[in-house]
Amino acid sequence: MLTLQLLVNGVALGAAYALCALGFVLVLNATGAVNFAQGDMVMAGGFVAIGLANLWPVPGLVLLPAVVLLTGLLGLAFSAIGYFPLKSRPPVSVFISTIALGVIFQNVAMVTFGPEPRATPPLLAAGNIDVGGLTIGIQAIAVVAIAALLVAGQHVLLMRTRLGQSLRATAQDREMAAALGIRVNLMIALTFALAAALAGVAGLLLANTYFITPTDGTNYILKAYIAATIGGWGRLHGAIAGAMLIAVFEIMFPALPLLVPFLPAAIHGMFSQTSASIVLYVALLAVLFLRPQGLFGEIAQRRA
Amino acid sequence: MSRHVPTSRLMPLAGLACLVAWPLVFTSPYDLRVFTLVGIYAILVLGYQFIFGHAGALALTQGAFFGIAAYVTGILGARFGWSFPATFPLSIVVPVLVAVVVAVPVLRLESHYFALATLGIAQVALLIAIRWESVTGGANGLAGVPGIGAFGLVLPRGYPTLAFVWGIAGVCALVAWWLMRDIRGRAFQLMRTSELAAMSIGLDTARLRFSAFLLSAAFAGIAGALHAHTLRVVSPEVLEFHVMVTCLAMAVIGGRTRVIGAFFGAFLLVQLPEWFRFLEHYYLIAYGGALLAMIIVAPDGLAGLLDRIGARLGLKPRQTLPSPVPLPSAAPDNVATEVPLLSVSGLTKRFGGVTALENVSFQVDRGEIVGLIGPNGSGKTTLVNIVTGLTPADAGEVRLMGQDITHDPAFRIAQCGVARTFQLIELVDDMTCLENVAVARLTRLGTGSGRPKGSTKVDAPLDLAKRQAAHLLERLGMSDAAFEPAGNLAQGLRRRLEIARALALEPRLLLLDEPAAGLNEIEQQDLAFRLKDLRTSGLALIVIEHNVPFLMAIADRLVCLDAGRVIAAGNPSDVRADRNVIAAYFGAQPQDGLP
Repeated sequence: MLTLQLLVNGVALGAAYALCALGFVLVLNATGAVNFAQGDMVMAGGFVAIGLANLWPVPGLVLLPAVVLLTGLLGLAFSAIGYFPLKSRPPVSVFISTIALGVIFQNVAMVTFGPEPRATPPLLAAGNIDVGGLTIGIQAIAVVAIAALLVAGQHVLLMRTRLGQSLRATAQDREMAAALGIRVNLMIALTFALAAALAGVAGLLLANTYFITPTDGTNYILKAYIAATIGGWGRLHGAIAGAMLIAVFEIMFPALPLLVPFLPAAIHGMFSQTSASIVLYVALLAVLFLRPQGLFGEIAQRRA
Repeated sequence: MSRHVPTSRLMPLAGLACLVAWPLVFTSPYDLRVFTLVGIYAILVLGYQFIFGHAGALALTQGAFFGIAAYVTGILGARFGWSFPATFPLSIVVPVLVAVVVAVPVLRLESHYFALATLGIAQVALLIAIRWESVTGGANGLAGVPGIGAFGLVLPRGYPTLAFVWGIAGVCALVAWWLMRDIRGRAFQLMRTSELAAMSIGLDTARLRFSAFLLSAAFAGIAGALHAHTLRVVSPEVLEFHVMVTCLAMAVIGGRTRVIGAFFGAFLLVQLPEWFRFLEHYYLIAYGGALLAMIIVAPDGLAGLLDRIGARLGLKPRQTLPSPVPLPSAAPDNVATEVPLLSVSGLTKRFGGVTALENVSFQVDRGEIVGLIGPNGSGKTTLVNIVTGLTPADAGEVRLMGQDITHDPAFRIAQCGVARTFQLIELVDDMTCLENVAVARLTRLGTGSGRPKGSTKVDAPLDLAKRQAAHLLERLGMSDAAFEPAGNLAQGLRRRLEIARALALEPRLLLLDEPAAGLNEIEQQDLAFRLKDLRTSGLALIVIEHNVPFLMAIADRLVCLDAGRVIAAGNPSDVRADRNVIAAYFGAQPQDGLP
């Protein structure tokens, strides 16, 4: 029973990670550049929601469209400052510019909201419901539902619409797309907006249960990166699977002494959130060492 | 502009004077400590320049190395009461050992993986420091780290500590400058511009990157230890990402490869927040903004900016061509002449389902010019890539003077005397022609037999490399362009420059991938003449070309590939008239032979 409850929490966390990782991979595919500020976008989304909730105390679900809109706009501005001036430079330049923008985001949040952890309002309501003896947080269910809707929506957008076709064409081969009359720069800017909006929603979803501080972005970018690496650099579905794996591991690992009764008490101290992170990073290095192309192979385009 | 005053010498001297004057003007204990921190950060950035600037790899471990060293000093000093002579070397050794361990999985990764993987390592270090309370003091850290001292004597705070730290910073600056001076630094520039070209002149790029990584860890170790001694406390703050971002910002703002840039960056980013302290977090916003602005406007940092301003003012030191010295004449190889120079047998290569080469065999003798022809996609470039070790073969073998080189890495094959040029020219556009060639020559002098003997001058190899490079430029008729950046040259000269660079390896075999492409008729004739001239010194050439008249003028033999197979080989006029060759080029049989 405990296992199932933890699993639900893990999936909820994973759903939010997946949104962040998805945005990370979308930008990666469209530009070949790593957006280091994707984690700070999660943080920004959380604080945008908190700021809105201060003005207008309504459930998170009502704030969702506004968060999407505002972080999407932030993404557009982000691409205009951090990507386009550098697009013909080596990818490392973009990497550094996104680090710089991340520092700016962090400190704007610090100046505005201070360093204390804050929480976003719950999506629907606080509390739990009972499903056949299983106590599940309403927030967890809502998070999974929203994330699933967004992932599905993102899939429909990319696969079933004209715009999505142009976005994918741009990601696959920029020059060819341009030759076909696709407005490549517009598509890249939209990709940044989409990525920021996905991260922003992740911030809204996460910050209710896990709180948020201005410096949390580093943690989220690392999670997105690990998800993208495990799932195969450039693979959207792989990133989602990777995000789920990480989150379930993070939730389950500290609870192992409870789940596995025969573990000797002496090593119970080894199972904590901190050690879960350590194990995760070491596992990441192992994956890179054994399979540099990720678990499912790499498809992202390389910049020549 | 008067040439009597060497202005280029005056600038560093003026800078040095400012440095000495600074702590004499700002004398409060607090000011002195801040200035000591400038020296410490300068050491950190000098180290970071090796891996980030020179090797061009965005490592995010420098902060972690710094923090680890601070903890080594802190733990040994505060908990065990060890003193400086013991803790200082260990604080350097530990981060270097960590670097050795993580380099194995991390260094071969491409940029995006590399940066984030190194960040993961840094996070692990931070988490361990927070969690391993019994040793590290947890989130509170360790207080009571002793000052710098030995045998019971401790250096007082203030001027003595400052002088010691800056003394070490000076030594570090000299070492950094010495290791990367002149052409030596240019080898790294070649590596980060074109890894292929670097390997093709015999540079072991993996080793270069590895040594740069270890050097940066060692410098970070020095800085971290001094930091712990100066602040007398160690806390997890030294391992936070903030330190790494500061170091990165210092390198970007100051300059990524220049010694002076490390000092600019450290000075600005340590002093400015002190002056703008009243701005608090707004300052950090400006800090991010400054980093962003620099990367967009002045990617070479302040050091690069000053250079550009200096160049505009005409302060560039006048350059004179070093007096040319000919390369040593090729020693005869001690291999029986029956053994061909190059023998390729049964080479097969598939890319996925596409067969690029199928059972290809041929030989090249000493002093021979072999033309390699074939329609687009017939496998010519793949063949050259396999011979030079850039692409592994699926089956078959390549022998150079009887020795199996099939599985040797590209740089070793280059060192064995196989040089090449590229279809898409791979030069460093920002480097002068002389530098482009001298890098290859210096690499050859470092590995080959041509090491200058009996010279007492420390920089004899450097000097000789440049003079021999001057000779090679002269031989290819490019002396006038010696100080021209390679990027400014016309196509014909760029091809010649690439050949000059290849000749710097004293090759026995030279592979040219479409050398006549993009050249006009006069340039082609000139090139043909020069290639024939090369043969007289015993050098063998394999020339890939679509331009058959050009090949007819120089080649002793032609080999024709089609769909990965050799369809004809032998006397040029026979091959040209061969029905299979004509069919391969035209699909059907025209009335005459090839044009």
